[in-house]
Amino acid sequence: MAAGPYNYSYIFKYIIIGDMGVGKSCLLHQFTEKKFMADCPHTIGVEFGTRIIEVSGQKIKLQIWDTAGQERFRAVTRSYYRGAAGALMVYDITRRSTYNHLSSWLTDARNLTNPNTVIFLIGNKCDLEAQRDVTYEEAKQFADENGLLFLEASAKTGENVEEAFLDTARKIYQNIQDGSLDLNAAESGVQHKPSSPRGTQLSNDQPTNKEGCAC
Amino acid sequence: MSLSSKKGKIRGKKKGLSKRKGSTGSSGSHGSADLKIPTDKKHKAKAIQEAIRSDPPDIANLRRLAISDGGLLRDDLRRKAWPKLMNVNVFEIPPKPANIKAHRDYRQVVLDVERSMRRFPTNMKEEQRLRLQDQLVDIILRVLVRHPELHYYQGYHDICVTFLLVVGEDLAFAIMDKLSEYHLRDFMDESMDRTRHILGYLMPIVGKAHPELREFLERSDVGTIFALSWLITWYGHVLTDIRHIVRLYDFFLACHPLMPIYLAAQIVLYRSEDILRVDCEMTMVHHTLSRLPEDLPFEHLVSRAGDLFIQYPPSMLAKEAELEFLSSTTISCYEDFEMATNQKPDTVLRRRRRFGNGTAQNGDVKTVQLRKPTNLALKFAVWAISASLGAAALAVVNVVNEWF
Repeated sequence: MAAGPYNYSYIFKYIIIGDMGVGKSCLLHQFTEKKFMADCPHTIGVEFGTRIIEVSGQKIKLQIWDTAGQERFRAVTRSYYRGAAGALMVYDITRRSTYNHLSSWLTDARNLTNPNTVIFLIGNKCDLEAQRDVTYEEAKQFADENGLLFLEASAKTGENVEEAFLDTARKIYQNIQDGSLDLNAAESGVQHKPSSPRGTQLSNDQPTNKEGCAC
Repeated sequence: MSLSSKKGKIRGKKKGLSKRKGSTGSSGSHGSADLKIPTDKKHKAKAIQEAIRSDPPDIANLRRLAISDGGLLRDDLRRKAWPKLMNVNVFEIPPKPANIKAHRDYRQVVLDVERSMRRFPTNMKEEQRLRLQDQLVDIILRVLVRHPELHYYQGYHDICVTFLLVVGEDLAFAIMDKLSEYHLRDFMDESMDRTRHILGYLMPIVGKAHPELREFLERSDVGTIFALSWLITWYGHVLTDIRHIVRLYDFFLACHPLMPIYLAAQIVLYRSEDILRVDCEMTMVHHTLSRLPEDLPFEHLVSRAGDLFIQYPPSMLAKEAELEFLSSTTISCYEDFEMATNQKPDTVLRRRRRFGNGTAQNGDVKTVQLRKPTNLALKFAVWAISASLGAAALAVVNVVNEWF
């Protein structure tokens, strides 16, 4: 059920994008289950995960869509970008080709989300320092030039995984607070859920979904 | 969720089904005791062996046995039966080409196979698993090199690995070579347009059987992507128990290429109570649908999916859903496959003509008429699909009998 045993004030929609094999599903699994999935299979189409976090005393439910990396699936995963408040764009620091493709992923993210969508660049597999193929400085410069938040992380050790998901939420929340993200705008990717009896919530659901939730 | 009560109902249903099977089989309406599906495993195994051994192989009977309760029962029987069902000539398997590493998809296949560990038995020695993984790469690339028009997709290897584990490298290649040309052809286009076309059958099937559920799903905006991995991997990617997977493969190899989407519809229908209980909201509905329970009653689902196919054949849905029936290469090629192999499991089904206003409702199959089958193989084919499939199918058989 939407609320479950918890109460939360907001729902933020995230997408995770990037080349196949960079560790998108492993990052999601590490974030939602706090475990590393060693034999993580490929994702077909999209998969979905959720977790409730807290930012500035507000409970926020993250709805995270993990997309398939293979090029041919982009035709179906693109429809999930719409209405995302946050986009985690992932590459593998040990495979330069996954870094070289970032501009294509970024173009999709920019074209298919709204101007306020927070885009967070994650260089995954930073535990594999010996096999590094992309320097931190180079990626940091790319992130700065394109106005992206950036961290190197490891789904295996858990390093910086929480930070990436939470920093994205903090930035979205800050955008709400300073008024740059209009909750009433179509496809803001954020739903405000005032704590209320269930019946009221249900009647509020319909119009909000049409605007806020993708597809 | 009241799974236990559902199970109870199903057990009851299965009992009824086997009773019906028994009585129909022994009624002698077809004048041949061979048509009876043995209800015990020992006799069924014998019947499967006989169908394989007969010259030419009794494909119609083999299909009937593959569909009916328990499918082909054991992997040693599958090793012999699956190639026959796909019309594979086991003595003329093309050799391995030398240049597989040069193929455009080689690197991706290797990456996908490297992380397919989950698909191998947990107690398998690493050395053996690595050898099988090498063979898996070879199988996939042998098919791709032979058919430059086919494009690899992630999930294709989930089907290949199932065949590899059951029939071994060479036969797995030969079966995949055939399947890729026919059943999987639409998935192997450069784009996913035709895959989406196949997914487009899902809601019309669900809607025919349960209009309220279809309305709910469409209102939630959930789409059909939750079933994508079911469809293009023949459930290999989403089921954990290999025994369930091979049982479904018995069924799919014996049926029309669209049967996996009918099974998807049946799974959604089976779970209707769970689905209708969640908020009519895209994420929650997707979440519920995309997670398959471990304890799905597969025999029941197989039987009901067959019923759905008979009640709402693709031609009926294509028209209703304004889909271009013939735009699917898989479906049109399947007719060639049937012609080439003289296997006609559902020609009769596709030829059905509706009488009256043409709006056959659930359980209203008696309004459906069939053209007179022209030969004995066809007569058996009706049986192959219908004898095992429950009430709706039996109604069809009764109609057919009037024509014989």
